[in-house]
Formats: sequence, C-alpha cells, structure tokens
Amino acid sequence: MTNPESLSGWTRLTTGTANVDIIGRRRTWYIGFGVLIAVCLLSLVFRGFNLGIDFTGGSQIQLPATGANGTISTQQVDRVYEGVIGFAPEVTQSVGSGDAASIVLQSEPLTPEQLVPLREALFTQLQPLGADGAPSAASISDSQVSGTWGGEVTTQALIALAVFIVLVTLFLAFYFERAMAAAALIALVNDIVVTAGVYSIIGLEVTPATVIGLLTILGFSLYDTVVVFDKVRENSRGLLKLTRRTYAEAANLALNQTLMRSMNTSLIAILPVLGLLVIGVGLLGVGTLADLALVQLVGMIIGVVSSLLLATPVLVDIKLRDKRVRDQAARVEARRARAAGRGGTDSDAEDDPATDTLAAVSSSAPAAPRPGARPTGKTGRRRG
Amino acid sequence: MATSSGQQHVRPWRYLTAFAGIVVVLYALVFLTGGGNLTPKLGIDLQGGTRVTLTARTTDGQPPPRDQLIQAQDIIEQRVNGLGVSGAEVQLDGSNIVITVPGDAGEQARSLGQTAQLRFREVLQGPVPANQAAGQQPAPGQDAQSGQAPASQAPASPAPAQPQGMGEQSRPVAPVAQVAPLQDPPPTPAPSPTPSPGGLAPDDPRVAAEVTKLRETRQSTDQATQLQALLSLNCGAPDPLQGYDDPTRPLVACSEDGQNKYLLGPSFLEGTEIASAQAQQNQQGVGWVVGLTFKPQGADTWGRYTTENVGKNVAFVLDGDVVSAPSINQPIFGQTQISGQFNQDRAQQLAQVLRYGSLPLSFDSGNAQTVSASLGLASLEAGLIAGAVGLVLVFAYCLFYYRLLGILTILSLALSGLVVYAVLILLGRWIGFTLDLAGVAGFIIAIGITADSFVIFFERLKDEMREGRTFRSAVPRSWERARRTILTADAVSFLAAAVLYILAVGEVRGFAFTLGMSTVLDLVVVFLVTFPLVVLISRSTSLGRPGLSGLGAVDRIGSRHRRAKPAVGRRAATTGKGAGA
Repeated sequence: MTNPESLSGWTRLTTGTANVDIIGRRRTWYIGFGVLIAVCLLSLVFRGFNLGIDFTGGSQIQLPATGANGTISTQQVDRVYEGVIGFAPEVTQSVGSGDAASIVLQSEPLTPEQLVPLREALFTQLQPLGADGAPSAASISDSQVSGTWGGEVTTQALIALAVFIVLVTLFLAFYFERAMAAAALIALVNDIVVTAGVYSIIGLEVTPATVIGLLTILGFSLYDTVVVFDKVRENSRGLLKLTRRTYAEAANLALNQTLMRSMNTSLIAILPVLGLLVIGVGLLGVGTLADLALVQLVGMIIGVVSSLLLATPVLVDIKLRDKRVRDQAARVEARRARAAGRGGTDSDAEDDPATDTLAAVSSSAPAAPRPGARPTGKTGRRRG
Repeated sequence: MATSSGQQHVRPWRYLTAFAGIVVVLYALVFLTGGGNLTPKLGIDLQGGTRVTLTARTTDGQPPPRDQLIQAQDIIEQRVNGLGVSGAEVQLDGSNIVITVPGDAGEQARSLGQTAQLRFREVLQGPVPANQAAGQQPAPGQDAQSGQAPASQAPASPAPAQPQGMGEQSRPVAPVAQVAPLQDPPPTPAPSPTPSPGGLAPDDPRVAAEVTKLRETRQSTDQATQLQALLSLNCGAPDPLQGYDDPTRPLVACSEDGQNKYLLGPSFLEGTEIASAQAQQNQQGVGWVVGLTFKPQGADTWGRYTTENVGKNVAFVLDGDVVSAPSINQPIFGQTQISGQFNQDRAQQLAQVLRYGSLPLSFDSGNAQTVSASLGLASLEAGLIAGAVGLVLVFAYCLFYYRLLGILTILSLALSGLVVYAVLILLGRWIGFTLDLAGVAGFIIAIGITADSFVIFFERLKDEMREGRTFRSAVPRSWERARRTILTADAVSFLAAAVLYILAVGEVRGFAFTLGMSTVLDLVVVFLVTFPLVVLISRSTSLGRPGLSGLGAVDRIGSRHRRAKPAVGRRAATTGKGAGA
C-alpha cells in the first residue's frame, strides 16, 4: 500500500493531509494584513477614488467605431463635439474590439438642447453603422446622469451594507459562537477595506456596478469563512475534555482539511468571473460587465485569502483569551511532555490510526513541536 | 451515528422524480401560458432602448407620499402610451419612477417627467429682456396695467383669422408673437449662448430652503420686491422654483427660452381644466401651435376672463416658465391656441404633456440612458459568451479534478440552467421581471456559487473516505454534514442578495435578483439531483470505483485505516512507519 511519505504534495493537498502550519505563523499573516490595510487606508484617505460619471454627473455617448467612411477616430469625434458644444469633451476613448468596437465620449452634463444637435451632428458627419450595416442615427447610445443620482446610489449602497452587516452578525452569532462571529466580521471588514483600497491605488473607475460588486463580495467572503468555521467547530467539539490537541491545532487541522475546498471553490468561482472580465473588457471595453467582473475578481481573491489567513487565526486568538482554552492547551502540552519523557509512549491512544500517517507527513510542521508527539489527527474518531 | 441505520433508506429515484416533476410543471407553464413566447424579457441594455429614471423632488426633503408617486406613475404611463410605442413600461422603484422604452423610439421619453403645471396668469409687467441691464426698465411705468394695449395694433393687421382664436401667432423667433414686436426696446432675438434652463435641479434638502426663499422674493405681493426680483432674476440659471410656484400669488418668471422676464399676477385658471390638447400647424404663419379645449368649467372661467380683459396680455406659464404671453383680442369661448417657438416635436410634446395632466410631484431626471440596438446586441452576445466561457472553464476543471463526479457537476449545472431559463420566462410574464446586463453578470457569478455546493459535498465525501469508509457508506454520512454547510453558506449568499434587492436602486436590483434566484435554485438542484445521483453511483459496482471519481488517492489512505483498525485495536497502527511503538 502507498507509503504516506510517498504521497506527492499535490495528493496530500487534495486529500486534506497536507498539514501546512497556518495558525502557527499567524503573527506573519497579521503583519502582512496590517501592512496591506495601512497602505489601503492611506490610499483611500489621500488618493480617494476615481469616480465615474454616475457619481459626478455627466454625459456619456457611445457610438460604433465603424462608419460608412471607414473607422471613426477619437479625434473625429472630438472635432464634432467641439463644433457643436464649443469645447472639448473630458474623455474620448476607443474601446472593445471587432463588431462591438466603439468610441466612448464622456463630458460634463449636457442638456437635451445640446444633446439632440450633438447626436445629429455625430450621425451626419461620421455616419456610424448600425447593426444591419447601414448608417443609423439610432446606433448612437447616450446616457445622462445627474450628480445627485450617484449620491443616491451610494447612499442606498451604504444603507444596504449596514443592514447586511447587522443581519449577518445576528446570523453568525446565532449560528456560530460569538468568537466566530467576531472573527468573521473582522475578515469581512478587511475585505471591504482592501478591495476599496485596490480600487483607489490602481485608480480604477468606480461605478455603481462596482459598488454592487463590492456588496456581493461580502456574501462570498463570508460564505468562505462559514465553510472553514463549520469545520473548525466540528473539530473542536468536546475538545476541552480531551488532551489530544489544542484549539489552535484543531483550527489548523480544519484549515488543512478545507484547504483544497477553499482553493477549489475560489478557483471555480473565479473562472467564470475571469471569463466575464476577459469577454467584457475584450469585446465591450467598458460597462457593467467589466466593472462587476473586476471588483468580484479582486474581492474574491482577497476574500479567500482572508478567510484562510486572517479569519481563522483571529478566531484562535480570540479563543485563547478564554482561560479554559488556555488551560486545556497547557494540559495538552503537559501530556505531551510526559509522553516525551516516557520515550514516546502514547498515553492518549484513543487517537485514531491516522495519527501516524499525519505525523509522518507533518514531520516538518512546527505546530506540535514535541519530539515523538502526535501533533494532529483526524477528525471524527469519536464517531468510530 | 444515528444516520448509519437511515442511510439505506435514501431513495434517490424519489428525489429525481420530484425534480423531473418540477421541470415538467415549469415547462408546461412556459409552453401553455403566455402565448408561447419563449424568450425572457430583456432589459433595454440588452435589446436597445431608452431608460429614464425620474427622481421625485420634494420641497421639504421628505420622501414623497406614496399615493402621489402612484398618481404620477399613472399619469406618466398615460403619457407613454400617448407616444404610441409598444412595450414601454413605467415602474416605481423606491421614490424613483423608471420609464423604459424598448427600441429606437424612446428619445421622447426623456421629456415625460415634465411636471407640466400649466397656469394662466395675467401679465402685470413685461416682457423685459432678460439680458438687459437694470437701468433699462423704463417700460414698467407705462405698462403698469399690463400696458401692452397697443399690442393689438400692429400685428393685428393679419387679423385674428381663427374664428375664436386669440390674436396670436408665432413668429420664428419671438416667443410672444403679438406683444413683442410692438415694444420699442423689443426683446428681440438676442444671440442666445445660454443653454436654456430646465436642466438639472439641485439637491433635495437645499431645494426646500431655496423654494421658500424664492417665494418670498419672486412671489412677493410687495411691488418694490417684485420689481427688485424682476431686475435681479437670472434666466440663464436653473430655476428651483420650477413646478413649485404658488398659484395664489404673483410670480416673476422668465420666458421659456430665457430671453424675457415677466411680472405675472396670480393664476386664474389651472391646466387641470384642460380637456384636450393637440399640436397643430400654425394657420397664420410658420411653425406649430398647441390647440387647447377646456372642460366646461374651465371654458367658463376662460371665457369670462378674456371678455373682461380684452387688450390685455395673458401668460401661459408651464412649470414656472412663460411659454407665451399673447394679448387678448376678443373674448374666447372655445378652442384656444398656445404659440411659442415650437417646432413640430416640441408642440407635440407639450400637447401630450398637457393632455395627460400635470404630475402631483416634480421630478428630476436622475439618469437617462439610450442604448442603441447594436450596442444592446453586442452586450447580450458578450454576456452569453462570457457565460459560456465561464461554464466551459468550470466544466473542464471539474472533469479534471473530480472525473466522474465532474460529469455529475456538469449535468447538475445544465439542469440548473434549464430550470433557470424556465423561471426567467415565467417571472418575465408574471411580475415583469426584466433580465438586464447586471442580471446576466449575476447568473455568471452564480455559476461559481452553484458549483461550490458540489465541491463542499465532494470534499466531505473525501473526508469520510479518508477516515476509512467506502465510497458507498461515505455518501449518506458526508451528505448529512455537507447539507448543513451548503444550507448555511447559501443562506449567507441569499441574505446578501435579498438585502441588496430590497435596499438598492437601479441596476443593482437585477443583479441581486438573479443572484438570489440562482442560490435558491442551486439548493433545489443539489438536493434533488446531485445528491441522489451520487447515491446511485455509489451503489453501482461499475461506476462506484473510487478511481473513476478522482477519489483513488483518498481511498487508498482510507483503506489503510480499514485494514489497520481490526489489527491494532487501541493502539496506533504502524503502516511502515517508525514513530509508533
């Protein structure tokens, strides 16, 4: 039969027996997240966001990049705009590819009295081609947004965020223990700050779609944490009465057991988003699809990383504030010390056979550093 | 564990039959109701069209009363129907009214939110050219009693051709056709660089204060204040008083094109007394006019007023702007015309707005969007391609990682898609649910969440097998535990979607809706399809081999447990390992 040591890293990962020490290095993660959050907060404060016209108010006109007289250039569009309105638009860019390629022009808010002649001029001078290949005035899209509209979107989004956090806190407190609810919330806040920070640092345009995306990430981020914590809870059930492993070890074990699931989940969730992003940007250039995909991508990556490296470590630290948990950890240590003194005889032999397997695999893992100790085991032996 | 005994009682075919039943019922509804239209309702960003979001503006900054919103929705709906475009919709979204007009005919929809409070006021003084300096208001003295008396002379020459008409006609430029040409310093067409007012208005809370302040000056009954207001009024700026002028008090107002200013008396007749309005070609000149017919009582008032005020001027004030201010040549008892600088479109628009009543609230156009059909098509295609690419990537990964179970995943996702499509069509019919671009994105993102339920289940399966169970016996146990996790995780997802749907505005809702719907359907599919199929596979000798399901490695670890257990009893097993005793 396969010798455990011969299992490849990949197999160990996929079978949940990798035993990577995540909890033991939590100081490292905290520093990492601390730096990340500090950078993000600094950027949020000093750089702020690059707000789209939905927030600032403005007009956006989009027309096909192909006209009856060949490709339409941004300069041509600028010239027409200046001719009608009297000054240059704020941004004119060419986006997308193939048949869907188009020119997008953004400007300060235009009144209907300005817009109608502008559309007419764009049509008569540039002859953009409609879907059927004939020049068509209807192929020109435009959107007018008042500055107050973005404000309303933002207000509603913030209200939704607040309500969501309150409901989720109640839900988590009801479903999990308080420590878990607190840890999950900390990870959640981290995800919000970091995602917003990334947008601020890179200077990506923030649109209502981005704000929505941010809110749904929260669901995803929690979802991930919920799965990991579910396992932690299972592993730590009745833990205080035993001396088999400490809470930290139980949590670390849960992390390892769900590691592949977390990765699979994230990958499976990210793959469609990636498709959305590539297609959305590649074909259309700008718009709802690209905005939603981008914020989801950023948030999902942050979400899964934080549920592994932040939520669970924080949970362990909160738990360690409880004297009973600390006492139990001390008993585990003492028991291991005794066992080591007796030449490695296992005094807690109700451990299941899997212990060996894992001890071998985890020989490099510092979680339970006592020589000869069986640091980790499998869950569920109580059922056996 | 308690379930050990129960696991034999799982009847997979029952679940599968239940699911088949659901699918049959859904598709029976799809095909047998609603005239067999087999496409979901698409939003204008996917099929092209115009969407205008109107935000109600209240003087006190409070949310507008619900009944007034509904009333406004009714009126706007009538106006939309008056446009004669098919498939247009007017929906209430919080305190917003969203007008959706599919296709290319939606440009007119942008003006549907006009408050359209038409009031008839006596002209006390004016017109005063808007861009004239303060000193240049000598006219007031002489025309204090609406001095335009001589007005009827000059242009009266092309005498009131219309039987009952007012002696009014539209010239291409001057808005107050008959009156204006007579004035010596005529408010003639100054080059108008100013974009006309009536664009966007300021924020809600500020509106309140602003309106109150303006009522004190521009609607003052004190003559000195009136004159002061008349002089200082800037016709180029947006007018916060628009739609909020008090009909019982005088009003200092601009003409619609922003070139003239007037001092007007209290309103003596309201636009609500209008029975009908049509755009007509001006029979006395170029351009278009709007013909009005009053309701009996309105006609009475109007007749009396015109009888008593022959020679004076009367102003048609639409939402605080003077549309025109002709002089009264004779008593008018029937049809009346409003002329202004109308082209055909403008005249038709105004007629329509007047015909369908005035709105109980004032609205700002928060967001107006016209999507060309080609851009809509491109977006729809991009969304579908993105969805397909996402699905293929997920399929490929699941096949690679879970092999036979991966095929199950694909099958489950496909069935999920089948149900989603039917539900989309039905919701479109029943509650007018419209699939927009954000909604498509919601579905694509939900692929991951749906697939994740399988991942949770399958990874649980591995856990159980690692502990020494066979594939077959691991299935019910792992399901029992995975089920709880899936329910919790989906509950969180659903919570997020529900909160977004209830509280958010605009395109957010489509996204939230599809996300929430996918989450619920995910549960249905996982419970009724995926789980029973896995049970079936685990019971089959040929399909149940762990290697087929990508469970080979974990099964090998597990089988060590199985062999080790009876042999070692209490002590740790030592499968080729040095650590144990």
